[in-house]
Amino acid sequence: MHIPDGILPVSVALSGYAAAGGMTWLSLNRINKKFKNPRELIPRASLLTAAFFVASLIHIPVPPTSVHLILSGLMGVILGWFAFPAILVGLFFQAVMFQHGGLTTMGINACLMGIPALLAGALFRTRRYFNAESKVTNGLLAFLGSFLAMGLGALTAALLLIYTIPAKLDVAAERAAIITLAGAHLPVALLEGVFTALVVLFLLRVKPELLEMEEK
Amino acid sequence: MIASYSTAIPESNLLSRWEVRHKLVGLLALIFSFSFIRELWLLPLVILVSVVIYRMSQLSLAYYWSRIRLPGLFLLMLALMLPFGAGSTVLARVGPLALKLEGSLSVLLIAVKFLCIFSLVLVLFAGTPLQKMVGALRSLGLPALLAEMLIFTNRYIYQLLTDLRQTQVAAGLRGFKGRSVKALKPLAYIVGTLLVRSHNQSERVFQAMTLRGYGEESLVLRAEQVRTFDRLALVATLLLAAGLVFLQFFFFPTS
Repeated sequence: MHIPDGILPVSVALSGYAAAGGMTWLSLNRINKKFKNPRELIPRASLLTAAFFVASLIHIPVPPTSVHLILSGLMGVILGWFAFPAILVGLFFQAVMFQHGGLTTMGINACLMGIPALLAGALFRTRRYFNAESKVTNGLLAFLGSFLAMGLGALTAALLLIYTIPAKLDVAAERAAIITLAGAHLPVALLEGVFTALVVLFLLRVKPELLEMEEK
Repeated sequence: MIASYSTAIPESNLLSRWEVRHKLVGLLALIFSFSFIRELWLLPLVILVSVVIYRMSQLSLAYYWSRIRLPGLFLLMLALMLPFGAGSTVLARVGPLALKLEGSLSVLLIAVKFLCIFSLVLVLFAGTPLQKMVGALRSLGLPALLAEMLIFTNRYIYQLLTDLRQTQVAAGLRGFKGRSVKALKPLAYIVGTLLVRSHNQSERVFQAMTLRGYGEESLVLRAEQVRTFDRLALVATLLLAAGLVFLQFFFFPTS
């Protein structure tokens, strides 16, 4: 899901920056309206961002290999509007520490992960219309949000890559590439969904305030 | 392996001494101009510019190699797939697969741009301490909230990483192997614990910071003094970037 430098045309990369700029403005605007003193929340948002960054380095075994989770859905659930800035910060550190992702593509990568994260958070917060204390409601909404966040991000990334590479793919190769990329990400999206649901159910039992930060 | 945010370029190096805002704008302009290139004949020029700047930085090839391995995997995947999937002019046949000219040229274009942009990204980050980088980004318009999040997150990543390793060692000593899908639940609990600990710690950090006056005014990062050299270096890189875009746009407008 991290598109590196050099692949996307510069027009797409710049559009990504414009979209990420717009999303950052929207997020900050909502944070400023929602909280009396947003600066009070910076240490908490930063520590949780660091925790998400570290958590995304954990190897999840999928025999015979292992995968890293992105946890964008979980970020949306816990951080709410802070999820988009947190993802930008995470991408910056990934570029600095591992040179993972890219500098020209940071905007597009932030949108690929950040917008689905916000949607996952919004979906999770519909729990107030159901039984907000119920394990089934919480688990199901967390699973669905995270699964969709990962799926949506991966599908958009695949389509962007396929339609912007310099050489034209023929129709059959295009279809095969979409099916292969989507097929490869489906198990990871399922895994993200299950993992997020498990973390949410754990937090519901141990520290429910963490799930209510955005609802206050 | 996690590489901390370090400055691998010596402080005495010209690129390290280049004022950060000017360096950021200059190198980013070059990076985007590389990204703009669609014509293969311009690639030698792109390589030349990257090699000269990388050599000037005094970074070693071993450093480049140690950093490219992980991001290079994506490039490798593309290099294995694209020559067989894109284009119509068949160059050679390898069993049931046909190696195509257009796909191969696409890989060449992408690979050169990727490797050259990568070298400039290394120069940019390896020669600039985080504090200065954030200060430069802030003076270029980065919102204060994002700037503070960058500083705080950097402060706690390494501590949380140590916490995570300790938790994993403790779990291992209690017999947790984590080699099958069954490990998903305990791993989710480890992540949950990490989040709870971070949240609790953030409350203590905030209280301690409030006692030290945090919240009164936004984080102030001192601006560096700008010298003639900084301006000249910026003009030179902007001219180079504009030259590349000009060559691409006016000599090969349809490519």
